[in-house]
Amino acid sequence: MTGQISPSLVLIVTCSGIGKVHGLVSREAVYHLTDKLLPGQADTVCLALLATGDPETRQKVQQTPCITLDGCPKLCAYKNVELSGGKIAKGIRVYDTMKRHHGANFGTATALSEEGWEVVEEVAAEVVKIFRQEAAT
Amino acid sequence: MNETISKVGIISCSGEEIPEGMIARQGVRRVLEGLRPQQTVTLCLPLFLAGEVGERRFAREHPTITVDGCDKLCAKRGTEQFSGAVNTSLVVTDILGGPARGCHRSTRHADKADEQAVWLVAERIAAEVDALAAAEVPNDVTKVPATSGDVCACSRPSPNGKLEVNGKSVIINGLPLIFEQLQKNGLQPGNGSADTLLETVRIYHFIEAAEEAGYRDSLQAAYQAFCQRGS
Repeated sequence: MTGQISPSLVLIVTCSGIGKVHGLVSREAVYHLTDKLLPGQADTVCLALLATGDPETRQKVQQTPCITLDGCPKLCAYKNVELSGGKIAKGIRVYDTMKRHHGANFGTATALSEEGWEVVEEVAAEVVKIFRQEAAT
Repeated sequence: MNETISKVGIISCSGEEIPEGMIARQGVRRVLEGLRPQQTVTLCLPLFLAGEVGERRFAREHPTITVDGCDKLCAKRGTEQFSGAVNTSLVVTDILGGPARGCHRSTRHADKADEQAVWLVAERIAAEVDALAAAEVPNDVTKVPATSGDVCACSRPSPNGKLEVNGKSVIINGLPLIFEQLQKNGLQPGNGSADTLLETVRIYHFIEAAEEAGYRDSLQAAYQAFCQRGS
């Protein structure tokens, strides 16, 4: 699950995960990256738009390196980017990060708890690290 | 409860790029968790592509409502493309009468504008769930045993409220959420709150005319207690 990242831009594509808290953690990590940690360097696309074959969105994932964030082992984000011919630089399994916080209460699929927001920061930091490492090579 | 009910499937667009996506998603969650927990179920839209045959049967097994953030209609088109026909297609911008002004993509920044938009969308979804439930259900729709444990689609307990009305115990779906919203809107407990409480709860819970007085008293007392507890 690795590839090349341009120093200029990366697309962070998240699963839409509406049934469990994992989806919200993934989604909030994207906004933390696009709005705060990597503004102007990271952007996102609607996964549903990609899944339904929107030509403009397909072109974006094909032309821009993508980091996918998935909340469950179904890997919807990874698989949909892959099926669209996208360039996946790295696939991150958010549920693996959450497993490291055994016993924590992350909140719900509607609202995150303090521990949920901590995982958001952790996942976002992991993406920044990958982005900087890959951009430097 | 031995009766059976047909679960209505609600599919939200993912809408990561726009605030209306968050509104769609949160509106659906509110219906699943609070307003119609026993009558509804959901599925992640992109799972139709990434998933297997079981996921793709979803819209054939459930009367389905799609909730889209914008007029690209990804939820409607995706569901029809990969699963089956949709009964009702809702669009957030139609419900709100335009773009979700002042709303946010992240729940971290959600404020009163987001709350109000989510409530408008959730109420509309709940009304459509009722309309579908009231319509004749086709024979090929899956019948799911109704649970008595008040569990929502993600298996978490739903926040129902129990009231004593005219000596009977009554359960109202999402009552704590309704109280929370009214409190945020500035409704003060006391005699002046009864009409608003009754009219709001009536949207989600059938109240016979003969029982209105009992509901008024019980709701007023319950809301007073809710506000005194601070939650």
